Amino acid sequence: MMFRNFCVTSFLTVFILLSSCKKTEKVTLIKETKSVLGLLTVNDTLQDFSEVGIKKLSAYNFFKKPLNQLIPVDESVIPYELNSPLFSDYTSKKRFIVLPENTKIDYRNLGVLDFPKGTIIIKNFYYTKDDLKSETDDIILETRLLIRDVKTGIWQTLPYVWNEEQTEAYLYILGKDIDLVLEKNKERATQTSFTYSVPNINMCKNCHVKNKKIMPIGPSARQLNRENIIHSESINQLTHLEKNELIHNMPIISKIDKMPNYHDVSSGNVNDRARAYLDVNCAHCHQEGGSAKTSGLHLVYEETDLYKLGLNKPPVAAGSGSGNLSYDVVAGHPEKSILLYRMKNLDPNIMMPEVGKSLVDEKGVKLIEEWIASLE
Amino acid sequence: MKKLLYFLGVIIAGLIILFFVLKSEPTPTYSPERNYIVGKESEILSKFLLAKDSTIIELEEGHFTLTQALSLEGVNHVTIIGKGIDKTVLNFKDQTKGAEGIRITNCKNITLKNFTVENAKGDNIKVMDTDGITFKNLESSWIGEVSENNGAYAFYPVLCNNVIIDNCRAIGAADAGIYVGQSNNVTISNNEAFYNVAGIESENSKNVKIFGNKAYQNTGGILVFDLPGLTQYGSNIKVYHNEIYENNIKNFAAKGAIVGQVPAGTGSLVLGTENVHFYDNIFRNNKTSSIAIASYVLIYEMGKRDAESLETDSDDVVGSTRTINDKYLNDKNYNPYPRRIKIGKNAYSNSYTFPTINNDFGKILLLKKPFQTVDVMWDGVEDPKAAYTICFDNNDLSFFGLDVLNDFKNATDDVSKLLCN
Repeated sequence: MMFRNFCVTSFLTVFILLSSCKKTEKVTLIKETKSVLGLLTVNDTLQDFSEVGIKKLSAYNFFKKPLNQLIPVDESVIPYELNSPLFSDYTSKKRFIVLPENTKIDYRNLGVLDFPKGTIIIKNFYYTKDDLKSETDDIILETRLLIRDVKTGIWQTLPYVWNEEQTEAYLYILGKDIDLVLEKNKERATQTSFTYSVPNINMCKNCHVKNKKIMPIGPSARQLNRENIIHSESINQLTHLEKNELIHNMPIISKIDKMPNYHDVSSGNVNDRARAYLDVNCAHCHQEGGSAKTSGLHLVYEETDLYKLGLNKPPVAAGSGSGNLSYDVVAGHPEKSILLYRMKNLDPNIMMPEVGKSLVDEKGVKLIEEWIASLE
Repeated sequence: MKKLLYFLGVIIAGLIILFFVLKSEPTPTYSPERNYIVGKESEILSKFLLAKDSTIIELEEGHFTLTQALSLEGVNHVTIIGKGIDKTVLNFKDQTKGAEGIRITNCKNITLKNFTVENAKGDNIKVMDTDGITFKNLESSWIGEVSENNGAYAFYPVLCNNVIIDNCRAIGAADAGIYVGQSNNVTISNNEAFYNVAGIESENSKNVKIFGNKAYQNTGGILVFDLPGLTQYGSNIKVYHNEIYENNIKNFAAKGAIVGQVPAGTGSLVLGTENVHFYDNIFRNNKTSSIAIASYVLIYEMGKRDAESLETDSDDVVGSTRTINDKYLNDKNYNPYPRRIKIGKNAYSNSYTFPTINNDFGKILLLKKPFQTVDVMWDGVEDPKAAYTICFDNNDLSFFGLDVLNDFKNATDDVSKLLCN
């Protein structure tokens, strides 16, 4: 009797197991029709990196629920845009700054503004539903935080990756590969399937270290000098900071430079736009004190030495990255210029930028091609 | 009939020479035994990413395949230790992220010990802006037949202070096996470097001791370079008690790389640099010359000439100097001449009769000094302000000063005028 009972129970268990297996199979089938694979699963979120930082994005209380709408809880979370953003595999970005109460940004004419201790800079990377095949909503992949320690003033980089359900992002320092299919649009000639790569926590530092210190890259005065809708008001972003007494030592707005928008033909000539492109996409490493300083190629917007901009400059320690070409930039000859060769490449040993890139920026390549062709 | 025989003789002799010349530049293959394991990546990666001050990262035994660079940034007193060369192997062959195998930046007192790093897309181990970096009992290599697609540097500390590279092996680098750039207080000791373009290279570095190493079957054995346009310039370099032999392999550097200029068959090459001392080394069977001393002026002049010929033909032979730039003229801190190069007592021997001819130096030697190789060769270009350019402790060697800028007019093989005081 006992034995029979045992048999029945085991039979039932096996049956349940089998049928549940079938169920999970069905689930994965449904997933495969989706165009995003590799966001965090329950298993991934079990990993504990609490010694590095706060586990969940929601715990910071930046955004209202549902979290994935990225709507600020109040006016302390200030949205911002840049005139010329970094190309990151065609992602769209939503950026915010949170300043501690009763603190102010110190204005800087060149380079990033000096943010007070305790500042948090938030950057969300997402694809719109139009970018993606068979998605009915935008999909957020990752949220990167830059936090300036209240006591030490040292900046810390913290990468959060979103879960499949899009209900939460978790601190995930190992980097994450996410498979995607991007629909074609006016920027991309063909449908593209590729692996988007969330950088691991040390890769953040490849770009963010300047003179041995972690620093923000984007929010400089000339990058922020533009209109944006902030808390339902259309206003210049710097004016907004000034009006709300969130910045000091700021000159009058008409005296502040504007970084051209490299995609907007009306914002500057080819040289201006190409130089903006190189500044935003390359100069975080390619400058004095940046991690590519040993290359001698310096691409900041204000650089005037043509040799440092690569003109007839031989590569230093580029290895096969030189592509058998002799100079970084050859005036009038995009095809002989190492700079362009590396932009167009996806081999990890050759491609530039060397992290955070899985796709070639077709429009960017065209702009730099045009620029090199125009040089004499 | 006699004439015909004579011609036949000449042709056969020519063919024999050609045979030896072609045979002379092998492209070797490195093939150690490996059993790769996939799936340990997250575990190994976490150890690196979670490292804090004073962490000891222990690597298990096994041949692990990784798809991304492992990095340390801004940490102090960290040791990475494996179970031994060939026991713990980190293989980056299928790397998709980051160009280096191991990348260490902005740290203090880091030690790497007892493991192998291989097949990174770029450099196997790159260390930058670090004070105190020790490599001990490591292998850094590229597997298979040597190729310009191999990574550039096996060991690559740059902009570092207090560097020790001891008891390591560097194999298959398409630029330099052990390369120290723009660094101070450097010890490179008891290492083996083979199948690289340059075995060991000190570039723009100060207070460097290179001793007890074996550099063999590279294109060039031990190089001391000073290049313009960089953050600092080299001086006080001692090269002693090394064995430098059979450095005759084909130069497989990517075009555009400066080591592309190094002629196969070079034991040691000094380019520019102040205060270099070679003594008690054993040089054996380096076909072109045991020690060559050259100025950046020569390289520049050769570069100009090659750049002109390049307009019509870009598919040139190895040894071209087209990427050398004339910026050195504008760099006030840079001195393109070798100065105070002291050649002490070394042992030279050579069983080869023909220098390699796939490069300019070889061709010059073949024309000027047929059927013999030269122990020490010098381009003869001097800094008029220098105390002296080169001096010898003894005259028991074959020497050739080329006087290249004057079309070899005052070429000399007389050492007696160049003896050290």
